[in-house]
Amino acid sequence: MIESKRRRRTVANIATYFVLAGLSMFCIGPMIWMLLTSLKYEADIVTQTMQYIPRRVTFDNYVAIWTQSGFPRLIGNSITVTFLTVTICVATGTLAAYAFSRFAFRGRTQLMLGYLVVRMFPAVMMIIPLYVVMRGVGLVDSRFGLALAYTSFLLPLFVWMLKGFFDSAPRELESAARIDGSTRLGAMVRIVMPLARNGLVASSVFIAIAAWNEFLFALMLTTGQGSRTWPVGLQLMVGEFQLPWGVLAAGGILSILPVVVLFAIVQRTMVQGLTAGAIKG
Amino acid sequence: MTSSSSRYLPLRALGELSETRYWMYLLLLPSLVMILLVIAYPTLYGMAISFRDMRLTRPGLDGWVGFKHYAGMWSDPVFWIALKNTVVWVTAAIVLELALGLLAATALNRDLPGTKIFAVLILLPYFLPNVVAGHMWALLLDPRLGVINDLLVRVGVLETYKAWFADPNTALAATVLVEAWHGFPFFALLLLAGLKSIPEDLYRAAAVDGAGVSAQLRLITLPMLKTVIAAAVILRVIGLVNSPDLLLILTGGGPGDATQVLSLYAFQTAYKEFNFGYASALSVVMFVILMIFAAAYIRLSRITKGEGDD
Amino acid sequence: MATLSIKDVRKSYGSVQVLHGVDIELEDGGFLVLLGPSGCGKSTLLNMIAGLDDTSGGDILIGGRSVVDLAPKDRNIAMVFQSYALYPTMSVERNIGFGLEMRGVDADQRKRAVDDAARLLQISHLLDRRPANLSGGQRQRVAMGRAIVRDPELFLFDEPLSNLDAKLRVEMRTEIKRLHERLGTSIVYVTHDQIEAMTLGTKVAVMKGGHIQQLADPRTIYERPANIFVASFIGSPAMNFLPGRLASSPSGVRFAANGVSVAMPAGKRQVDFDRPVILGVRPEELKAVARDEASVTGVIDVVEPTGPETMVTVQVGEQSIIARLPPRFAGRRKEPIFLAVDPASVNLFDPDSEQRIDI
Repeated sequence: MIESKRRRRTVANIATYFVLAGLSMFCIGPMIWMLLTSLKYEADIVTQTMQYIPRRVTFDNYVAIWTQSGFPRLIGNSITVTFLTVTICVATGTLAAYAFSRFAFRGRTQLMLGYLVVRMFPAVMMIIPLYVVMRGVGLVDSRFGLALAYTSFLLPLFVWMLKGFFDSAPRELESAARIDGSTRLGAMVRIVMPLARNGLVASSVFIAIAAWNEFLFALMLTTGQGSRTWPVGLQLMVGEFQLPWGVLAAGGILSILPVVVLFAIVQRTMVQGLTAGAIKG
Repeated sequence: MTSSSSRYLPLRALGELSETRYWMYLLLLPSLVMILLVIAYPTLYGMAISFRDMRLTRPGLDGWVGFKHYAGMWSDPVFWIALKNTVVWVTAAIVLELALGLLAATALNRDLPGTKIFAVLILLPYFLPNVVAGHMWALLLDPRLGVINDLLVRVGVLETYKAWFADPNTALAATVLVEAWHGFPFFALLLLAGLKSIPEDLYRAAAVDGAGVSAQLRLITLPMLKTVIAAAVILRVIGLVNSPDLLLILTGGGPGDATQVLSLYAFQTAYKEFNFGYASALSVVMFVILMIFAAAYIRLSRITKGEGDD
Repeated sequence: MATLSIKDVRKSYGSVQVLHGVDIELEDGGFLVLLGPSGCGKSTLLNMIAGLDDTSGGDILIGGRSVVDLAPKDRNIAMVFQSYALYPTMSVERNIGFGLEMRGVDADQRKRAVDDAARLLQISHLLDRRPANLSGGQRQRVAMGRAIVRDPELFLFDEPLSNLDAKLRVEMRTEIKRLHERLGTSIVYVTHDQIEAMTLGTKVAVMKGGHIQQLADPRTIYERPANIFVASFIGSPAMNFLPGRLASSPSGVRFAANGVSVAMPAGKRQVDFDRPVILGVRPEELKAVARDEASVTGVIDVVEPTGPETMVTVQVGEQSIIARLPPRFAGRRKEPIFLAVDPASVNLFDPDSEQRIDI
């Protein structure tokens, strides 16, 4: 009886590892293949018999994407746009998230719901009027304009996520600080912010990744080299120059590198922030 | 008061202001301004555009046309194809993602040694950019040098390499596969958190009462996960319906209109033809359909939840 | 002079009123306990004194000065929280000194004050630690240190012992009492634990439903509860209630019920005979006696020896009462039992208004 139970458990454990390994392979297999492709010579990619493990390794593709295209420029633009987006969201969203977390006021629930309904707006529905409006004020093809456009869907996300982190910092701490002689502002800066620091970083990284990856808004709102971000640039390179697979793969690897690194650093806090809302609601 | 006088004066004034009841409104003000500026105004303006003729290629054309675009949709065959494709595509992707997500969450929830690494690996695709994901899969499924074709030929499933995205019969299925790869980690994430929130005692109590594995799944796990599944499905449906990114990169709606969905159609109408009026009308219709779906879905999942409680 | 005056203070959230016109005066050096079940409004009242909640009406004076328009930092109060609310990112030393730091006290003076407070609370060896590395009792001491270091006009305690285990709770209760006697600063203390209220308070306000049910010293509250709620909330096991009637007899007024006949002390007031009343008797006021001395006759239901005493549940007519009898009580289940009551110790309540009746 006990023997069979133990055997059943062992079988279940093996099955679990099997499932996990399979799913992990499904998830990162494509990335590994892209990495391998980026390290192959073009001749080894376009061969009759598939080379699973490259017989010779080259970094030519990386050199090519970095020197023979506007790629560094694209990356630079993306960094600027991402930085601006995060700055705007942190500057305005942190205060709002704090207010939502700490105060009860009329219209609070409706406002929070409103922040959520915004997610239902189709991107196209926002892109067209944003394009028309920004063209009117000269913000089309500007990195700042693109960052502003990103704010339209990332600010509500940021506020929701950060509010969850503020909620988990005990209110009594603030009360204690206020009785100890702080103002509300002082308590927020000195006591709550340091406690919510990880959450603030994770929420910022989350929207930074989203801004870095964004494609549709950038495609519509940027037209020239001056503001084009890497997803648009890479896509256009594929279309216009028939980019060789190896070079494209190298570009892909380079552009997901910051995402993978940032994700690896803050994934635990970020996961916590992403799931909190759905579990509570 | 006795506060130190060395402190920076405006900051102190702001501090005193924070003790008044206007403080919370002051905190909300910056983000409200932003939201009015980049969300509220553009949204209303976008709805207005859907009742106007606006083509950037013909600047003179700029008048109110009432429901012309909406009426035009009725007799636009592409609209109906796109609507049908949207429903099929979203449903297929959701079912596949939910199944994969549940599988991953259940496996991860057993907390065997080393699970944490697997969790990170499984989550990673969700954070990858669409542009890279699209081209990566295009490479994997390439009709000439795709490794998946090679593998399938080797194990004997396929006779020759297949052009997955060029064949109208397989194009939509292939894009669903890519979308599922990109989206199922989201389900895994939420479902895992949901599983973790179920008290272990419930399972022990059920085991003591003689409930087997399948009974536990049916009587405890699924009912307890219902809210999480509902939330995950609705968020993901919104995401899928609204973002044509992957389709735009993989197929551009082709071959023919085999993978044309509403969001992509609306975007191309705006981006390629600069027909902003019609594109706006398409996206407003999409939004309305989503709202109706969300309301119905929330109501429906509440009703079943109520029954479960009885 | 009163340290704290609460005058007709009210609080409502929207249309829901949670405090109805509360009036309390606390003398200098007094120890006021706000006692009641959860949701009675005691914590709200405390937060209003602290300035963490706005008042909806009425006035609060600390040291003769109205504070309702002042921010918490300007009220010259200190507070100990239920969760202790120690700043997790700061050392114990900085936690205790934070109030002084915020008030611009220089580092030397601060150090001295913190050291004094730490010595008083026997936590000098913990000053370099972080709150996360402290036990519950130590955190409690640090939280008190943070309050006393400031030498405020008023201390506020919000259920400070409710997160401690039973043994530590008793220990810290004594500690708080010692501290109060030593410092002499007035204290407002919120709790739902009647033992804390009885042992600590010089004045106890029993609250329910946003009303003060009774405001008096602990002895009065225990012996002369204002109504049935107060009577049943204070004391464990709770006061016994026996419904019956007042009747006249040759020896004076008697309370009579099925199996009960208690002589009432001669009162000043005219007694309304034959009216229904409820007799309240504390379990320790009942004594086992011989049949002819008995004023309560019943049958033993359950006998529970606890060591220092024996709790006996007795069936009297349709009612069940508890008597607190000596440890070596020998009665058994189903045996008849005869109990006597000291007439001076009983209370009578009106069954309709549930208020105590003076006779």
